[in-house]
Amino acid sequence: MAETASNTYQDPLEPRHLVAPHHDDASLNETLLDHVWRKPGKGWFMLFGLSLSALGLLVIGVTYTLARGIGVWGNNQPVGWAFDIINFVWWVGIGHAGTLISAILLLFQQKWRTSINRFAEAMTLFAVMCAGLFPLLHTGRPWFAFWLFPYPSTLGAWPQFRSPLVWDVFAISTYLTVSALFWFVGLIPDLAALRDSSKTKLQRTIYGLFALGWRGSGRHWHNYKIAYLLLAGLSTPLVVSVHTIVSFDFAVSLLPGWHATIFPPYFVAGAVFSGFAMVITLIIPARKYLGLRDVITDRHLENMNKVILATGLLVSYGYLMEHFVAWYSQNQYELWTFYVNRATGPYAGVYWLMIACNVITPNIFWFKKCRTNIAIMWVASIAVNIGMWCERFIIIVTSLSQDFLPSSWGIYTPTWVDWSIYIGTLGLFGTLFLLFLKFVPAVAISEVKELQLELKHAAHQHGSDDALAGAGTLTHGAH
Amino acid sequence: MEATVLDSWVLAEFSTPDALVTATRQMREKGFEGMDTYSPYPLHGGSEALGLPPSRVPFIALCGGLTGVATALAMQTWMNTIDYPLNIGGRPLLSLPAWVPITFELGVLFAAFGIFFGLLGLSRLPQPYHPVFESEEFRTASTHGYWLSVPQATGTDAAPVMDQLKALGATQVTLVTGEKE
Repeated sequence: MAETASNTYQDPLEPRHLVAPHHDDASLNETLLDHVWRKPGKGWFMLFGLSLSALGLLVIGVTYTLARGIGVWGNNQPVGWAFDIINFVWWVGIGHAGTLISAILLLFQQKWRTSINRFAEAMTLFAVMCAGLFPLLHTGRPWFAFWLFPYPSTLGAWPQFRSPLVWDVFAISTYLTVSALFWFVGLIPDLAALRDSSKTKLQRTIYGLFALGWRGSGRHWHNYKIAYLLLAGLSTPLVVSVHTIVSFDFAVSLLPGWHATIFPPYFVAGAVFSGFAMVITLIIPARKYLGLRDVITDRHLENMNKVILATGLLVSYGYLMEHFVAWYSQNQYELWTFYVNRATGPYAGVYWLMIACNVITPNIFWFKKCRTNIAIMWVASIAVNIGMWCERFIIIVTSLSQDFLPSSWGIYTPTWVDWSIYIGTLGLFGTLFLLFLKFVPAVAISEVKELQLELKHAAHQHGSDDALAGAGTLTHGAH
Repeated sequence: MEATVLDSWVLAEFSTPDALVTATRQMREKGFEGMDTYSPYPLHGGSEALGLPPSRVPFIALCGGLTGVATALAMQTWMNTIDYPLNIGGRPLLSLPAWVPITFELGVLFAAFGIFFGLLGLSRLPQPYHPVFESEEFRTASTHGYWLSVPQATGTDAAPVMDQLKALGATQVTLVTGEKE
């Protein structure tokens, strides 16, 4: 208990650091902006090349789909939803950790969020872009995608607002817009810092353009502080609503395995689970490449692993409840879906991979050794991402492939187009992310400086005496 | 060539955020008005030192949110109940529970727009040029400098103000003159 308390609330300078103590404003500025001014290294170019080639697959997959129609995908009756919806839900879920870190942790005054929020918000933005691509393509004629929005048209028809698919359109577009605004508002002071540390006229002009003329005015900060807090306050229920609405796509239908009231909370927990795993996957190499170990410390990683453990347990509880309710209802279709089809049917391998990755893997984070070992947590985070992808596969494909009537059962296999679009979105995400790492400060500089000042004040008040600081830890640990 | 109106400011740099806040408060107590502070991050007690009234951003956000809610309810009711009624399994044409998700989303969206554009509007941004940028040293305000600006009528003697700022602990003072915003 003492450890948890000191980790989140208590004087963060003791016993392990959120910001390495030898920094002042000027040196923080130098450290955190360094990667923008520095010429990218070989590793960056290699990863960028890899991402670009994967992006090429996306171009091929999408072009082929547009030229031939979505019949080139593996989904057809009875499995009408497959990779397109699996990947959509998977990407949206990954995006959710970004909002959680930047908004919910801000409201809870979790100081450790400061070094990772910019990074996570960028992840949100790019993940939601990848997610949006799938339903767009699945419409078959994406050039008519604007039909989804209510606009006065010669068709004389309006969207059907009782449909969760229409709710989805509003939820995802609102989420993308608000995430982008939140990200940009957070970025403004740092863009000004970039403008003012620029070495060439071109850099100064470009960053100056995006900084909107921010000059750090006290009158502006006065509005800025409250605006940022309010955006965080809005994003918090928004993120919950988005994945709730995504889960409604399934929960309001009557299909066994989809028709469950536990879906909204279970989906939100799963989203946070996979999102935090993705943050870990990305941040470990990134902080090494960017030289950001002073601000993204092992303590950040450990805290994120705790969140992964907690949400992993929530997801496991979701699985348990699904199985319990199926048994408790004694409904033959539910029983078939959960106890026969999923566990022993044609997709049993995916099911057990999901159980291994989502139910078993996170439990290693009960042990501090695993929570603090970089290699272990990196592998575990990838396992969680795979597990969560399998979860969406299992939910969508098993329920559709064997529903009520055995005569209408069918097997789904993805085609090369499905795979190349999926791998292609990984490439799109990687490309955008690497560009972000190159051109924008990956850590919210102004917030880290503010935190650093707060920590110094706190250390000053507690007294620099070790005995005093130790006593503080104990008192805080007591409640 | 049209005549340009000039605007002058005395700029003073302080070594720490606390020194800046203290100096701001003392200058305001002496009767200086229209001052502004500049710092890489929000100053604790900075708004109070400048004597700023509560921000109007929350009010704008509330108006935005309510507009979104009203828009969504009106839109869905008019489109699905009045203009193009759809009978879905005999359910009521005005099924408010089904309106809830979109109403919530549009409320959030409009509130966020209110916050964003409210912030820009109240701060009069984007504004790429401001007289304070005439001083090259002032560039530190976004990285590690803590600055105070005091308005000065153009062409008058700024020495007394500069002396007072130095007495309050300013490490450097300059006078900038530029086009009025």
